[in-house]
Amino acid sequence: MGSPPGTRSPTEAVNSLRPVPAEMSGGRLHGRRLALAVLVASLAVAIAFPQQISTILAIPLLAAFSLGRMVAAYTLAVAFSIGVGLAATSSRRAASVLLPLLDVLQSIPIFGFFPAALVFFVSSFQGHPIGLELAVVFLIFTSMAWNMAFGVYESLTTIPRDLEAAADSYGLRGWLRFRRVTFPAVMPKLVYNSMLSWSNGWYFLVASEVFTAFGATHVRPGLGAFIAEAGITGAADRIALGIGALAAVVVALDVLVWRPTSLWAERFRLETTGRQVARVPGPYERLKWLPRFLPIRTATRARLRPVAVAWRRISARIEKVYAVHPDVLRRLAVINLAMFLAIFAVVGIAGLAALIALLARPLPAEAQEIPIAALHSFLRLLAAYGIALVWTVPIAAWVGRSQRASRFLTPFLEVFASLPAAALLPAILGISIVIASAVGLEAQLAALLIALFSMQWYLLFNLIAGVRSIPADVEEAARAFGLRGRTYWKRLLFPALVPSLITGSITAWGAGWNALIVSEYILFGQRIYRVTGVGAMLSEATFATPPNASLILLTVLTMIVVVVGMNKLLWRPLYRRASARFRLEVE
Amino acid sequence: MSPRPAILEVRDVSRSYFEDSREVKVLDVIRFEEWEGDFVCVVGPSGCGKSTLLKIIVGLDRPTSGEVLFEGRPMRADNPQVAMVFQSFALFPWLTVEQNVAVGLEARHEPADEAGALARKYIEAVGLDGFENAFPRELSGGMKQRVGIARALAVEPLLLCMDEPFYALDSLTAQTLKDEILQLWSNPDLPPKAVLMVTHSIEEAVYLADRIIVIAGRPGRMIAEVDIDLPRPRNRKEPEFYGWVDEIYSLIV
Repeated sequence: MGSPPGTRSPTEAVNSLRPVPAEMSGGRLHGRRLALAVLVASLAVAIAFPQQISTILAIPLLAAFSLGRMVAAYTLAVAFSIGVGLAATSSRRAASVLLPLLDVLQSIPIFGFFPAALVFFVSSFQGHPIGLELAVVFLIFTSMAWNMAFGVYESLTTIPRDLEAAADSYGLRGWLRFRRVTFPAVMPKLVYNSMLSWSNGWYFLVASEVFTAFGATHVRPGLGAFIAEAGITGAADRIALGIGALAAVVVALDVLVWRPTSLWAERFRLETTGRQVARVPGPYERLKWLPRFLPIRTATRARLRPVAVAWRRISARIEKVYAVHPDVLRRLAVINLAMFLAIFAVVGIAGLAALIALLARPLPAEAQEIPIAALHSFLRLLAAYGIALVWTVPIAAWVGRSQRASRFLTPFLEVFASLPAAALLPAILGISIVIASAVGLEAQLAALLIALFSMQWYLLFNLIAGVRSIPADVEEAARAFGLRGRTYWKRLLFPALVPSLITGSITAWGAGWNALIVSEYILFGQRIYRVTGVGAMLSEATFATPPNASLILLTVLTMIVVVVGMNKLLWRPLYRRASARFRLEVE
Repeated sequence: MSPRPAILEVRDVSRSYFEDSREVKVLDVIRFEEWEGDFVCVVGPSGCGKSTLLKIIVGLDRPTSGEVLFEGRPMRADNPQVAMVFQSFALFPWLTVEQNVAVGLEARHEPADEAGALARKYIEAVGLDGFENAFPRELSGGMKQRVGIARALAVEPLLLCMDEPFYALDSLTAQTLKDEILQLWSNPDLPPKAVLMVTHSIEEAVYLADRIIVIAGRPGRMIAEVDIDLPRPRNRKEPEFYGWVDEIYSLIV
């Protein structure tokens, strides 16, 4: 599987996409079959539901709207994360402010930002749709930015010391250093985290295109709104159509954007020392099993070539400008950051004002239910986490080490993981009703499953990456000394997995808390499925007319306290201890 | 000693680290000079702080006390007259061989075609012609270190600093590279004019250097400064060669 020895460079591999002939014909065949299948399926849908043809025609447009929001949020998130990463690594003082701030920000359940953002954007645009769009984009941004920022920071701090020293001693500064050292070093993690952020983003896009606030239900046209409305009316065909379309968009993006990008990012991986090691298929090479869509790719690449040329020209010019004003880059990072911090400050002040208003008033009657609700939510997440652990650890160990397992399982895992749990919500609820309505637990089961679906992928893909990050020579040493079975797990696999297990757990729990608000209170087919929990309380408070501001604030605060508490008291100390003991040195 | 001004002056350099507010001294009052034409090796057992010393000398680290002067002025990390070769090669994995070699020239805003020509000249000088467009991960260890050396030569430095450059290489490759370094050093048309190398191998130092700075102990102290006046090319089999190796060995132990 490793790249053939010799001179074939990774770029060449990407550029030429020269596959083994058999694979190529298989790919072409697949492509044709796929196209045929899509055609037949859409015809079948059109014939079966003639009254739906207009909606089917509308779907590409809705998809384009949704995609536009995602792209806008993602662009902001990239700018933000690079700015934060640069600022935090360039000065210790900035790091001591930014990192804890980011930490708090990422601990806030995404929906906790939403009410504040809504108030801010809707009132400053006086209810104009632009304000609503901005609120949605802001929400998606908050779901994308933090992990990318941490990714950038982490890759900047893990550049081998000698490489930094080489850059210093050869006088690489400013833009050149950014282009030659910083940017490439950041690339693999940035691309990888971008993929995570996109799936995160879809989740919140789907969940935020329809929302009730200020006494009215606002619908921003898009796939998420389509699915949500289908769920509310209980129209199974439209639910399926919406989920299918969303899956198609997500997978197409992965194939056409993320897979080529991540293959390209492979060449930036730090792997300088020692002899040639067989190249492990990294966690970035997703969707290998799909047909290659060569014509589309070649066409896209041809279109993009002028962009690359322009980029090279621009960066030469930037370098010249930079030579005259050596502080530009840092200043840009600072301006960029200042912009974002200003927005956060405004949103934060809005939140604080609301808090003060809250403290001035007596607590709402529901407030005393919060602790019990929080306990319920916590136990629900704990159960989902336990289930996720039980299946992800062995699967990751298997998929991470066995080529065959990887080839067979990855397609399923990736397609499943690509679907935001929020979009699956109607389907999951439907299944839960079938399974558990006899014992009256359908709402509980649905809430648990949605939490599970929100959490498990983070664990799984982090763990797979952890397994694959075991250096080949350590693996070989283990084999040479005959480590097998339990000893192998105890001495190599488990220790090597601990750091990624903890990182995965932090993200998974974050996602779990986020899932609560959509999973504990579901409007489906004219009925409300509700379980006890803070998520349900937050939903009810947000969707009430008028929204119950003090209850929103209290529930969000509760979640923040619990999440921050868990991170500070549990994950952080664990991670510190684990990375001191179990980290596999690169050098 | 030579009447010419020294290009490198290491003046009473000491270095301490602070760990849990406890001072850990790694280097204690190191002092030596290097003149144009010198090949100086710093020798010592591992952990004596010799790599730290080199980092301080090239300006990548600061001494706790003392100073390092290059041509009479305090040393700066990006001094274009000084180039560094690393034990771990420290190549940029995402750049081709040619781009790696040209990186120091790029930093000086040399026009791209001149930088390219110069890079290719030194790629050829280290015997890597034909590999200009390869990526470091496709090269063997010896070839990687050749890229590291070419990168250092391309900036045409006065002083070439090397931190255990042969450490990660097999002994055959290392021997070839040592001879090539000696050739480059003695060739008046090619840089560098002087070489400063850190190594733990006494034999390597006696084979290469005019002068050996012996450091030992914790914190590392300068034990001796030894002039090696063996004629070149040196032969490891000769008793005189071994005489020097044994003498320095006995100094350290």
